[in-house]
Amino acid sequence: MSFVLGIDIGSAQSKGVILGDQGSLGSFECASGGDFKLTAEKIREELLSQAERSVDDISRTVATGYGSKLVIFADEIKSDIVCLAKGVSSLLPSVRTAIDIGDLYTKVLRTDGHGNVHSFILSGKCAGGSGRILQVIARVLQVKVDEIGELSLKSKKRVEFNTGCAVFAETEAISRLSQEVAKEDLLAGLHRALAAQINSLAERLGVEQDVAMVGGGARDIGLIRAVKEIRGHDILVPPHPHMIAALGAALIARESLTIQD
Amino acid sequence: MGDKQSTISDIVKNYYNNYGLRAKELKGEGKQFIGYVCSLVPLEIITASGCIPFRVRGSVYEPITRGDTLLETIVCPYYRSVFDLSVKGKYDFLSGMVIPHGCDSMVRSFSAWSYGLPFSYFHFVNIPSVCDESSFEFFDSELGAFKKSLEKFTGKAITEEHLRQAIRVHNENRDKVRALYELRKTDPPLISGTELTMTLTAGSSLPIEESNDLFDQVLTGVKGRKNSLPQKGPRIFIDGACLDNIELIKLVEELGGNVVADTICNGARDHLPKTDVGGDSIEALSRRYLGKVNCPKTYRANKAGTFEGDIANRFGDIGTYAREFKADGAILYVYKYCDPFGFEVPARKAYYHSLNLPLLHLEDIYSAGTMGQLRTRVQAFLEMIG
Repeated sequence: MSFVLGIDIGSAQSKGVILGDQGSLGSFECASGGDFKLTAEKIREELLSQAERSVDDISRTVATGYGSKLVIFADEIKSDIVCLAKGVSSLLPSVRTAIDIGDLYTKVLRTDGHGNVHSFILSGKCAGGSGRILQVIARVLQVKVDEIGELSLKSKKRVEFNTGCAVFAETEAISRLSQEVAKEDLLAGLHRALAAQINSLAERLGVEQDVAMVGGGARDIGLIRAVKEIRGHDILVPPHPHMIAALGAALIARESLTIQD
Repeated sequence: MGDKQSTISDIVKNYYNNYGLRAKELKGEGKQFIGYVCSLVPLEIITASGCIPFRVRGSVYEPITRGDTLLETIVCPYYRSVFDLSVKGKYDFLSGMVIPHGCDSMVRSFSAWSYGLPFSYFHFVNIPSVCDESSFEFFDSELGAFKKSLEKFTGKAITEEHLRQAIRVHNENRDKVRALYELRKTDPPLISGTELTMTLTAGSSLPIEESNDLFDQVLTGVKGRKNSLPQKGPRIFIDGACLDNIELIKLVEELGGNVVADTICNGARDHLPKTDVGGDSIEALSRRYLGKVNCPKTYRANKAGTFEGDIANRFGDIGTYAREFKADGAILYVYKYCDPFGFEVPARKAYYHSLNLPLLHLEDIYSAGTMGQLRTRVQAFLEMIG
């Protein structure tokens, strides 16, 4: 019996997965905070405790994400693009295009269903079109970020939200609220603006179906619906979409064990 | 690695880091250096005049400040940085400045250069935007005017013999660059992209004869190495404008890739095409700079009649280099607001697709501060093709 860890230190949230021979034995998510080294340690401890294992039982750890270099106990660092492809292909092998809505960037990648990446594209250098805008808006509207999706589905009136910029979005949201626009209508408008940016990025790369959405932003069902509407086809979402990069990292860790054997 | 090798590598680093060091020394001995930007200024004419051409550089580490009070930020950040360093006095040892019509920013900012800098000689070289027979006729006479302006500046006539001699020594320089590029053909290459670009950059701050000596020493040094420094890794081709700061190439190589070929202005675009000898020198220079230097700023008519044929004609040199140097992937690196490259990105992407060569397109702002963001992309790209 061998155990491997995949740890994904994101700019906002950090995630980890522990795999045994038979599959996942646990997963954990927490805020990345200001000390990535400490966060990585905390995730490892939590995963070990869920799987009832000790540090010595872990054969290999692969780290990914924005803060991956600070996972000092990792055996290998892999880019999140490669980990996402591996993770999504393991759960949804029919997927050829994956859209990852992260905090800092939105990423689109093309894969062959076996976890190999053919091409990829990242959103621009600012956080426009990324998941950060959802957090900004949640704060302005004083709702929890995981309530945004459900709330936006209740929208009755179409509101055009004009900006995809995470900074100007706040200004625009406040001015709309002063015009007594309902929260749910505002959120649905924001989702459409965000979906248009995501779609434009995906089109620049070229889209082949099936398409999946992953990352923290894929937990927002309002955003998924908006992307479905603009693309005119179904979008697959794996269970625990925010864990996909961590899962991919763990799968890569397990693969290299097999190769070493 | 012997002492000799480390010495030459230190010399290159010193010229690269203290850019203009040798020019300042030689100015003290009465030599006149003429600054230039871009690959389109016929350096042979400057050399033939008895002056020394000096490629002015920007710095990705120096925030653009004074330059932005004289040039709007619609100009590309590379060019703004070059201008900013110049108005801050970094190149005050120069006697003059030559700017060609390399892009819209260069044309429109020429007056800002001539008002903002203390040099006694300024010249704008009008490079035709198209490449027909009439363009060459025009360019011949334009180069004649450039020659005359230098004669007026130095007070000395430039003879055909001066031009032939200058063409010969500049062609020698290109042979040496070609020999340096040959060192990249093995796997792993014998010389890293970082070393090579540093060497070429250092060379562009020296009198051409000293640049020839420097390249000879680097060639000897690299060939004499016991162990090749670079390790095996994905072989990367860099396509873009002027990368006169090595940060991107260094990043690729730190992440395990090897930069083995390029089209960059301070690389293959500038240094590989040679000037024909035997005929009229001005005509030969006009053929080289307009016809052979493949820059996206020049419109070349679609002679193939199809999109596929057109991109194969326009970007054929990329395919030739990629095959010759066995590239595994390419990075198309474009500065924000770079109009010549910006317009070509979709066609270039299509061309890479037709070559079946994986491509990473990066847009950047000429600042070392963006290296972290580029790292994410380059790392993923190398893993993807590795």
